[in-house]
Amino acid sequence: MEGMEQWKVQVENWSSQLRELLHQFLQHVHQIPPAQLYAAIAVLSLTTLFLLSIRLFRRKKSNTIVLTGQGGSGKTVLFYQLRDGSSHLGTVTSMEPNEGTFILHSEASKKGKIRPVHVIDVPGHSRLMPKLDEVLPLAAGLVFVVDALDFLRNCRAASEYLYDILTNASVVKKKIPVLILCNKTDKVSAHTKEFIRKQLEKELDKLRASRSAISAADIANDFTLGIPGEAFAFTQCQNRVTVAEASGLTGEIAQVEEFIREHVKP
Amino acid sequence: MLEQLLIFTRGGLILWTCKEIGNALKGSPIDTLIRSCLLEERSGAASFNYDAPGAAYTLKWTFHNELGLVFVAVYQRILHLLYVDDLLSMVKREFAKIYDPKRTVYHEFDETFKQLKMEAEARAEELKKSKPVGKPVSNGKRQGHGQKGGYDGGNKDRSEGGLANDGGDGDGEGEGHKMGNGYANGNHIGAKDSKMTAVVKGKENTSSNNGAFDVNKLQKLRSKGGKKTDTVDNKVPKVDTKKKITKKNRVWDDKPPPTKLDFTQTVDGKGNGNDNVHDVEEVHGESMMDIEEVVSSESESEEDEEVGKESKLDAKKKGWFSSMFQSIAGKANLEKADLEPALKALKDRLMTKNVAEEIAEKLCESVSASLEGKKLASFTRVSSTVQAAMEEALVRILTPRRSIDILRDVHAAKEQNKPYVVVFVGVNGVGKSTNLAKVAYWLLQHKVSVMMAACDTFRSGAVEQLRTHARRLQIPIFEKGYEKDPAIVAKEAIQEAVRNGSDVVLVDTAGRMQDNEPLMRALSKLVNLNNPDLVLFVGEALVGNDAVDQLSKFNQKLADLSTSPSPRLIDGILLTKFDTIDDKVGAALSMVYVSGAPVMFVGCGQSYTDLKKLNVKSIVKTLLA
Ligand SMILES: Nc1nc2c(ncn2[C@@H]2O[C@H](COP(=O)(O)OP(=O)(O)OP(=O)(O)O)[C@@H](O)[C@H]2O)c(=O)[nH]1
Ligand SMILES: [Mg+2]
Repeated sequence: MEGMEQWKVQVENWSSQLRELLHQFLQHVHQIPPAQLYAAIAVLSLTTLFLLSIRLFRRKKSNTIVLTGQGGSGKTVLFYQLRDGSSHLGTVTSMEPNEGTFILHSEASKKGKIRPVHVIDVPGHSRLMPKLDEVLPLAAGLVFVVDALDFLRNCRAASEYLYDILTNASVVKKKIPVLILCNKTDKVSAHTKEFIRKQLEKELDKLRASRSAISAADIANDFTLGIPGEAFAFTQCQNRVTVAEASGLTGEIAQVEEFIREHVKP
Repeated sequence: MLEQLLIFTRGGLILWTCKEIGNALKGSPIDTLIRSCLLEERSGAASFNYDAPGAAYTLKWTFHNELGLVFVAVYQRILHLLYVDDLLSMVKREFAKIYDPKRTVYHEFDETFKQLKMEAEARAEELKKSKPVGKPVSNGKRQGHGQKGGYDGGNKDRSEGGLANDGGDGDGEGEGHKMGNGYANGNHIGAKDSKMTAVVKGKENTSSNNGAFDVNKLQKLRSKGGKKTDTVDNKVPKVDTKKKITKKNRVWDDKPPPTKLDFTQTVDGKGNGNDNVHDVEEVHGESMMDIEEVVSSESESEEDEEVGKESKLDAKKKGWFSSMFQSIAGKANLEKADLEPALKALKDRLMTKNVAEEIAEKLCESVSASLEGKKLASFTRVSSTVQAAMEEALVRILTPRRSIDILRDVHAAKEQNKPYVVVFVGVNGVGKSTNLAKVAYWLLQHKVSVMMAACDTFRSGAVEQLRTHARRLQIPIFEKGYEKDPAIVAKEAIQEAVRNGSDVVLVDTAGRMQDNEPLMRALSKLVNLNNPDLVLFVGEALVGNDAVDQLSKFNQKLADLSTSPSPRLIDGILLTKFDTIDDKVGAALSMVYVSGAPVMFVGCGQSYTDLKKLNVKSIVKTLLA
């Protein structure tokens, strides 16, 4: 009982002290000129905002891999090979991107924590090109799929597509690595990756001339390609451009997976 | 015979094909359908014809927009299969039940499909026989079926309704709005009402998700004081919340029965992500059947009245509040009827921008086809959803299908030591010669040597006009007066260009009305004889509805009067007088849509420098502004 009483008194004491303090503080605040007060508040809130935004911007490195290339080159098959290790019943022309965040099928049995990969398969139909511009800025790596079987017929169109990608602002600025993937190598008549690389370089070289002429008009590419006065080679690109082979249909996609893991660390 | 039926995702993964039919298709009809029809905003059409060596196919399709699925049937054109639409919509409905985005294999659908196909064939047969008798008869029959067994019967009901209603309509988007219509028409469909409900139920029965199942029950039970709700709850505890939502909506919404359908579907979608889908399916299969029967036998008269009262009540309460609620809840599945006002407004807006009516109509159909059944996102209005879809469609159309890098093509031709030949065609007075000169000027600026060919041997003064331009630009001109056949003049001009090493030959032709048979024949001859690298259609940006007629007739005549099996058509468009049209930029859209050819140049003034490329983004912005 006694203790209780005493305790009550104590509490009352404290609270009066507190009230006193608060009063003093308020008086003090009143003495400060308002301009100064506002400035202090502004500084305080700005710093918090700043700290917060740093938090936000220093996000994890992107884990997005974008599959792109002409229609029929085998992107969707590749997407499902990466995800499920199977091309299921086959594919038809895509009308919308396929997108998924998953652990690569080949790594599914691995132990330990593996970082999933966010893969986007952008349809090749040129009417859907605007979609590509949306996803390029997100990419940690870009796989440009080329049909090695029917390459010669598509060479020019593929080069034009590749030109647009290699001169795209985000690709150049962020130095997004590009893998040129010669697909469908399960067939013996497929062209070799060396042949394809050379042909693409040749075509891109020509495009460089005509495209830079066009830039006065509407379709202005943001950046020019390669070094002026020198024959174009992929090694001149700011970003890393490599060539690899694969067969999506039969699941020989080790080189793509290697590329993905190089740029999206497990 | 059906050649093939495929179910695939919009992403392009084939989920199911009929192995039993198993015919290898000749050519690639599906890819062609997607590339040249579905991706070209022509999916509002009823069917698509595909010809390959040794095959003439007709393709029909339907979308399930909410699930992002496409259903395509392929059959020999000569067969005029009547049941295809019916079958497609049934397949769609049945497949939607078992679809799970996580799954990629659906072997169990083989059996279902067999059944569906047999039924569809039988119905088509019946319909053929009893055509003059019409609906009532088939209605009666349907009901007979319905009593036979819940789920099958249910399906028959629905699809027959579809068939009777619109026969061979390619819309295929059966049940939703059709049922809606039925309800909206009045209460005379009391009997139908309960039957329809039964249909929905039947669906939920086999449906892989509990959510839909319960909501449905609920709607039925609600009118009976919700006696059975607790059983439902026991089985699927989750549903509670959903149930409440539905209830509220029912009260506030303006047309009860369609909403009923709506919400079923809505919840449907949600349930899909559910993992224990399959268990639920099995557990509930039978019990649902039971309830269904109870309901359909009891409630015919009751529900009739109920609906009547409710619709009156709802009519009062409807308005912005309900739509507001819907937009906040953000879960209503879009129906054709919901889309219509927004689409109508959009169509009118496009038409004020001078888009040909026919084109605006087709675009709206296509947008509608791509949105029907989709769920409205939270805090969005139908109109903004429609607008966004339209914007996407417009960008898609106006984005050139092939490269329009002429300079690259010129260089390619140069490598082969051939001149690059451009033929300018179009109706009278659109500014062919003037813009030909502008193109010449632009080419000259890029160090390409140009030659003009004066092949307008029809209109007096045309040659002189071109000569003036040639002199000003200091480029050679090939002319042969007025007497000669323009096709021959062009040929000689090209030969001359080869001799003097010109990189490009720009061929001016006489302006001609699209209906002028002799002149069109002459043009076709010129094009076929010289096989130019580019047939450039010059059109006025001022034209409205006529744009469609001009371009389609030009293309048609070029094709008809051609002697070769693969006729040359219009490859590109030059739009003139673009500076005079303010925001009425619709002609660009109409022309591109009709011909599938890109706008390669835009003429926008009097001087040689007034030639631009089309800015797709700004055009789309203007069109929708
Ligand atoms: N022989 C062979 N064929 C392949 C391979 N990969 C894909 N294909 C075939 O190529 C065709 C097109 O493949 P998709 O993956 O659908 O092509 P895509 O790149 O997604 O095409 P779009 O969706 O139109 O952009 C299909 O018929 C595949 O069977 C491969 O590695 N080898
Ligand atoms: Mg694809």
